[in-house]
Amino acid sequence: MKVAFLSVGLGALLLLTGCATTPKAARIPLTGDPLVDGRTHIEQGPPNERILWQYRTALVAMRRGDYPQAKALLDDAILTIGGILTNDKDARRARSMFASESRKKFIGEPYERVMAYYYRGILYWMDGEPDNARACFRSGELIDSDTEVDNYAADYVLLDYLDGFASDKLFTDGGDALKRAKANASTKMDVPPDYDRAANVLFFTECGFGPQKYATGQYREQLRFREGQQQARVVTIKLNNGQVIRTRPWDDLYFQATTRGGRVMDHILANKAVFKQSTDTVGDVAIVSGAVLATGRNTQEAGLGVLAFGLLSKAIAAGTTPAADVRAWDNLPQFLGFGALRVAPGTYTAQVEFQDGAGRLLANLSRRVTFEVKAADRDTVVYISDKQQ
Amino acid sequence: MKSYVNYSLCLAAVAAMTAGCASSGVKNPRGVPVTEMKADERGFVAGTGMESQDLVMVTDKMARSILAIPEIANAQGTPRVVLNPVNNETRFPINKDIFLTRIRAQLNSKAAGKVRFLARDQMAALERERDLKQSGQVTASSDPNVVEFKGADFFLTGTLQNMTTRTSKGVSDYVLYSFRLIDARTSDIVWEDMAEIKKQGLEDAAYR
Repeated sequence: MKVAFLSVGLGALLLLTGCATTPKAARIPLTGDPLVDGRTHIEQGPPNERILWQYRTALVAMRRGDYPQAKALLDDAILTIGGILTNDKDARRARSMFASESRKKFIGEPYERVMAYYYRGILYWMDGEPDNARACFRSGELIDSDTEVDNYAADYVLLDYLDGFASDKLFTDGGDALKRAKANASTKMDVPPDYDRAANVLFFTECGFGPQKYATGQYREQLRFREGQQQARVVTIKLNNGQVIRTRPWDDLYFQATTRGGRVMDHILANKAVFKQSTDTVGDVAIVSGAVLATGRNTQEAGLGVLAFGLLSKAIAAGTTPAADVRAWDNLPQFLGFGALRVAPGTYTAQVEFQDGAGRLLANLSRRVTFEVKAADRDTVVYISDKQQ
Repeated sequence: MKSYVNYSLCLAAVAAMTAGCASSGVKNPRGVPVTEMKADERGFVAGTGMESQDLVMVTDKMARSILAIPEIANAQGTPRVVLNPVNNETRFPINKDIFLTRIRAQLNSKAAGKVRFLARDQMAALERERDLKQSGQVTASSDPNVVEFKGADFFLTGTLQNMTTRTSKGVSDYVLYSFRLIDARTSDIVWEDMAEIKKQGLEDAAYR
């Protein structure tokens, strides 16, 4: 009779193990147009990936010059990432043993959140609101300020430089921010110049592919970054009035992603991995021992009990999910640059050329951009990327 | 007989446990109804930045404070005020005009004509209308060639500043809201008041 009980119990365990699978998400129809598909993902995709798709789609919109759409998407994302996320059910589940980290609402690693503020800052400046742009750059710096090693805290050259530049434009002192920017400029990058308050055309440039996330470790519990593919490093902008400006990288997102140090979540994932390994080992031992005992006439019942315990332990191990979240804002650039020029009012065409680290022209990336410089006391902001999406 | 009961109980437990798995994946299937809140009430969606309850508190305080100053309370005639944009020096991108808009609305609705605001943000439309009247393209109820646009007695402006601390224990934001009334003739700051708010919070460990 007891054997029958145990058999029923084992059956139940098998049934429960089957529950570990998650329901498949509805298939999202794709068109191949990243802007349309991005919007579809935002509207129809999982809610916990809404911000991820807002990031991606906003950047596509930026690259297409659809700035109103980029603004709307970034504003919505910043509403969430700018708050304090507490009492979030999905976050609680992500911390639990039996749900993966990717269950949590995606807000991105610090370098991704910084970039959301960076792009929104560019758009504010474009709209003639350098103080709100500065607010975005400051928020970006704050996000990068709690690194494990102090040397890497708030060390974006461009964010400090633009913070100070906006202050200078608003007739307040931007000197401290400029000092910080120059101090943070690494030997591999360009040292930013002093501010020219009269410079009225601002070029925000970017090139290369941003860091890619991957998971490593026995249970893929460790989040790591791989450097993105990159060709272009230097951007040369030749205006049709003869003015030329060259922007070199001031910030490297791969460097930023890899100099943060560990996350609190990494400790949680490490604990999950230890738990998974322990329960799995205990399960193996119990199954083998139980099977051996179950073959004995006098120890059959005890053996089945140990076997059931082993299966339970294995089921728990199988259900433990320590894998790190590798969802990433995957269309970010690697290098960020900036330049400012004094340009008389009028309409201009600029030849934009990209060069690699050795100064070789990457002719396939060359393009023309047209922009208008207005007489009003508003800066003209030109955003240039080596990617056309 | 007893064993049959045990069997039944055991099977029922299994059925109950497996049935529980079916409920996964659907949360709030009927949605969550909209919750209406007062503008000065702290909502359940909160950050350390500027929120509606801060705006209401700050602008209420400023409007009351402005009305109490002698330059307004004992003014000969009605003082004319022009709003100058607020300077945002915080780390929070905001719609800056909302502070002055609410102060103006509070004063206009509660002060019963003790101050008047000049619609300088509408100057382009006002000038166009005047030009139409001067050219006779539209009717005028008074002589359109007489300058009737009023000059400002005072400028009302403000500055928002903040200090932020971020450590492993959380984020703390202190915001100082200061507003001032400047005499347009003498550049005297005839009134200044401030409000300060400090907030702090710590994110879920999953995001740290």
